[in-house]
Amino acid sequence: MTVALQPAGDIWYKRSIIYQVHVRTFFDSNGDGIGDFQGLDQKMDYLQELGINAIWLMPFFPSPLRDDGYDIADYYSVHSSYGTLEDFKKFLASAHQRSIKVIIEMVLNHTSDQHPWFQQSRSSLENPRRDWYVWSDTDTGYPKAGINFRDTELSNWAWDPVSKSYYWHRFFSHQPDLNYDNPAIREEMWNVMKFWLELGVDGFRLDAVPYLVEREGTNCENLPETHAVIKELRQKLDQHFPGKMLLAEANQWPAELRPYFGDGDEFHMAFHFPLMPRMFMGVKLEDRKPITEILQQTPEIPQSCQWCLFLRNHDELTLEMLTDMERSYMNDSYAQEQTMRLNLGIRRRLAPLLENDRRRIELMNGMLLSLPGTPSIYYGDEIGMGDNINLGDRNGVRTPMQWSGGWNAGFSTADPEKLYAPLIHDPVYGYPAVNVTSQKRTQHSLLNWMARILAVRKSTDVFGCGSIEFLYPANHRILAYVRQLGTETILVVNNLSNAAQAVELDLRRHKGNILIEMFGRTIFPRIGELPYLLTFGPYQFYWFRLRRI
Amino acid sequence: MKKVRTADDSILTDEFLRQLMNVGEVDLLVGLPTHNNSSTIGPIVATIQAGLLAFFPRDRAVIINVDGGSQDGTRQLVLNAAIDDARGSKISALRTLPVISTQYAGSPARGTALRSILAAAELLGAKACMVVSPESTQIQTDWLTKLLGPVYAREFDLVLPTYSRHRFDGILLTNLLYPMTRALYGLRIREPYALDFAFSGSLGSQFLSQNPWQDETARAGSETYFTLHAIAAQSRICQSFLGNREHVERRASDLVPALRQTVGALFSSLGPNMALWKSRAESKRITTTGPEREFTLEPLRVNRKRLREMFSTGVGELESVFQSILSPPTLEELRRIAGLDEAEFRYPAELWVKTIYEFAAAYQKSVISRDHILQALAPLFRGRAFTFLLENRNGSADTVENNIETLCLEFEREKPYLLEIWNGRE
Repeated sequence: MTVALQPAGDIWYKRSIIYQVHVRTFFDSNGDGIGDFQGLDQKMDYLQELGINAIWLMPFFPSPLRDDGYDIADYYSVHSSYGTLEDFKKFLASAHQRSIKVIIEMVLNHTSDQHPWFQQSRSSLENPRRDWYVWSDTDTGYPKAGINFRDTELSNWAWDPVSKSYYWHRFFSHQPDLNYDNPAIREEMWNVMKFWLELGVDGFRLDAVPYLVEREGTNCENLPETHAVIKELRQKLDQHFPGKMLLAEANQWPAELRPYFGDGDEFHMAFHFPLMPRMFMGVKLEDRKPITEILQQTPEIPQSCQWCLFLRNHDELTLEMLTDMERSYMNDSYAQEQTMRLNLGIRRRLAPLLENDRRRIELMNGMLLSLPGTPSIYYGDEIGMGDNINLGDRNGVRTPMQWSGGWNAGFSTADPEKLYAPLIHDPVYGYPAVNVTSQKRTQHSLLNWMARILAVRKSTDVFGCGSIEFLYPANHRILAYVRQLGTETILVVNNLSNAAQAVELDLRRHKGNILIEMFGRTIFPRIGELPYLLTFGPYQFYWFRLRRI
Repeated sequence: MKKVRTADDSILTDEFLRQLMNVGEVDLLVGLPTHNNSSTIGPIVATIQAGLLAFFPRDRAVIINVDGGSQDGTRQLVLNAAIDDARGSKISALRTLPVISTQYAGSPARGTALRSILAAAELLGAKACMVVSPESTQIQTDWLTKLLGPVYAREFDLVLPTYSRHRFDGILLTNLLYPMTRALYGLRIREPYALDFAFSGSLGSQFLSQNPWQDETARAGSETYFTLHAIAAQSRICQSFLGNREHVERRASDLVPALRQTVGALFSSLGPNMALWKSRAESKRITTTGPEREFTLEPLRVNRKRLREMFSTGVGELESVFQSILSPPTLEELRRIAGLDEAEFRYPAELWVKTIYEFAAAYQKSVISRDHILQALAPLFRGRAFTFLLENRNGSADTVENNIETLCLEFEREKPYLLEIWNGRE
C-alpha cells in the first residue's frame, strides 16, 4: 500500500462534499411556482448547517427546457424563471461567504436547436456559423456511434427541413452537437467559461464530455481529438484562473476514464460511474465482490486528481457500465415495474431504491463518504425524499424540495397547480411525512444523522485525500478497508448484509494501535497478533481511527 | 497427520465452523465427499462451479469439500474453484462463490462425510443441497439444474439420478436394490443407492436429527439410508436423467463393502418401517425428468466362469451359515444348482427373490451376526449375476429392461412370502 501524502496546491475539490441541486427545484422566493436564485440564497444557512461545502448547480441558462436545461439557448445569461444575473451573483457571494464553493454546469457538447447559433447555422450554407454544427447530406455517417437515448431516438442524425440536410446529435434531436473541429467553437466555448469564471464560479461540471469530436470509423467517444480540446481548455483555465476545477461527466469504464485525467492536465475530477450501481448491487447481493472488483480495476490517477462519487443524481441510475447479467439483476432487484426503467437505467431516488430502509440508507451514505473520492449528494436525499415514477423522463426525481408539511411543502406560495412539477404526496414519501422541518426537530432523523456523518467526514482529510487498502476477510458480506494519509489511519468496516455478522480482520500490520470509533469516540480493544473480531448488526458499519497511544 | 480439533460432541471442527461462519446463509450447497481423489476432482469441481454460474448466477451458493484425510492435494484442487475478490478471477460472476474444505475426524467414511455436509447445510440454512461423488467424472453442468432445480423450486424434497448405463453395470442395483425397494416401498426408484443426488434443507435436517450415525450400517450406507428415510418420511421424490454413467471396473473384494453400504442399509430399514412397507400393495412410477433408464450395449468382457465358481464354492463352504439363514427348500435348491455345470447353471428369479427375502428376515431377526449375513450373500449374488449376464448376453436394451421388469414383478409377487416369514419368525 502506498501511503498518500498531502498533495500540494489548492485541492479544495478533494476535501469537498458536493450538494447537487437544480435552482428550479429548491425554493421559490417569488411565488411563481418555480425555484429561483433568490430562493436558493435564502436556503444557504440550511446547506451550511447540513455541512456541505460545495454546490453543483444544474443548468440555469435560458433554454426551452425540453431537457431540463441541458438544451441551452444562451450561455451568457440566467433563465428568467430563475432570476437574473444579479441574483446569481448575490447567491454566489452568499455561498462564498459561507466557504461554500459553486460548481456550475457547462454543456459543451451541444446546444438547444433554439440557440441563435443553430438558427444561424441552419439558415444557409454560407452563413459564417454554418460550420459551428456537424452537418451532412446523408444520415449514414459515423455508423459505429451508439444512440444514448434509445427509448426516444432512432438515429444520431436528424433532418433539418430548413437547410435540407442532416445534423448530428448524440442526445435528443433538439440538441444539435457543436463542431469542435472548428477553432471558432473552441474559442467561443472558452469565452463562455471565462465569463462565468470572472463572475467567481469555482468550477465546471462538463456535460457529455466523451462526445465532443466525431471521427469516421470510430464510436465517436473518447477520441484523442476530444482530449486535445479538454487539454486546451485546462491550459487556459490554469493560466488565467488557477485553483478552479473541471469535473468530467463521462459514463465510461475506469480504464477509459483514466485518460480524462491526463497527466494532471485535463480534468481535476471525474464521476466514477461504474462504482455507483455496484454499490447498490453489493448491498442487494450482500456481497462485497462487485464493489472491490470495480475498485481493483480502477487505475491510479494523478495526485492532484480525484474521483467524484455519488449514489444518485438527476439522471436515471445508469446501468450502462454493467454486464447484461448484472443489468438484468439490477433491474429485477431495483426496478420491478417497467415504468421505473428508462433507457439503460432506473429512474428512482435513493430512499425508494432502498425501500426506505434507514439502515441501508445510512450504510450506502457511509460507503459514499468513506470510499476514495469526493462525494456528491443529490438534493432531497439527505431527508429521504421519494420520487414520482408517473412523471415522464427523469422528472420523477426532480420534484420540489420538501421543506415542511405545510402549503406546497414550504417550497412555494403559489397555487399548487402552478408548481413546475407536482409535489410528492404518497403516504410514505409525501411531504407531510418527509420534510426538513420535522426532521430538524427530531434528533435521530436522517437529516440530523447526515449532518453528523458529514461533520465526521470533514474532521479528517483522510477520506478525501488518503490511500485505500482493501482487507479481504473470509466473510464476503463484510467490506473492509484502511484509509491512510500521512500518519493518520482510518479503518472502515461495512456489513453489507441484512443479518448480523461476525468478522475476523487481519490487522497485524497495525498491531499496537487502539481503535477509536469515530462517531461516539468509543475505545475498542488494542490490536494484537490474533485476528481482530468484530460483530455487526444488519447493515451496520464502523469508522475507526487508529491511534498508537 | 494433523490432529483435527472438535468440541467434545460436535462433528464440526472449530476450523470448519469458522469457515461456515464466514460463508453465512446460502441458498444452495454442493457437498463433495473426498478421499485422495486428486486424479478426478479438478474437472468435477470446475464443472460444478460452471453449473452454478450458468443456472444459479444470482443465488447464494457454496461448495463444501468434506475430506477423509487426503494426502494427494485433493483439498487444494477443490479450493481452486472459489470465486472471490481476494484472489481475483477471470470468470464473470455476479457474486462470490465460496469454496471451503474440511477434514473430518476419524477414518474415511461416506457416512461421516454426509453427516458433515448435512450439518453444514443446516447451519447455513441451505434451501437445496446436492452431493456429488468424486468419481462422477462424467458430470455435466446441467446436472446442477437437473438435480438442484426441482428442490430449489420447492417441488421435491429428494431428487435422485437415473443414468444411461451399460446393461451389465450395476447388477446389484438391477437385481436387488431396485426391485426390492420397489416391491417393498412401492416406489419405482431406479437408483436408490445414489452417489449424486439433491435434497431439500428440511429433509437434510430431518435426517440429521434422526441421529442414525451410531449404527455401523447407517454409517457405511448413509446414502441408501438417506433415500429410505425420505421414502419412510413420505417426502416428495423425483428422478432426473443425467445421461451417461461410465462403467467402473470393480474388484471382487469390493462386493462385500458394497453389500454393507446398500443391502445392509435396505435390510436395516425394514424393521423400523414395517408398517409402511407392509401396507404398500403395489408399486407406482415417480416423476422422472427424461428417460427412466437407458442401456448401452457395447461388448464388455466379464469373467462369468469365475462368478459361477465363486457361487458354487461359497454354497459349499457356507453351508452351516446358510442353514441359519435360509429355509430348507431354498437351501436345497441352491445346493442343487451349485452342482450344475456351467452350461446348465441358472439361478432363476423365483429362487433369487426367495433367497433375498429369507436373508432379509434373517437379518431382521439377527439369527447370526448381521455382518456375517451380508457377507454370506456375496457368493449367492455372484451366482445371480452369472445368470443375469447369461440371460442378457445378446439382449437388446428392451430385452434387458424386460428381464429387469420381470424380476421386479417377481419381487412384488413374492412380497406376501416375506411378510409370512417375517411374521412367522416373529
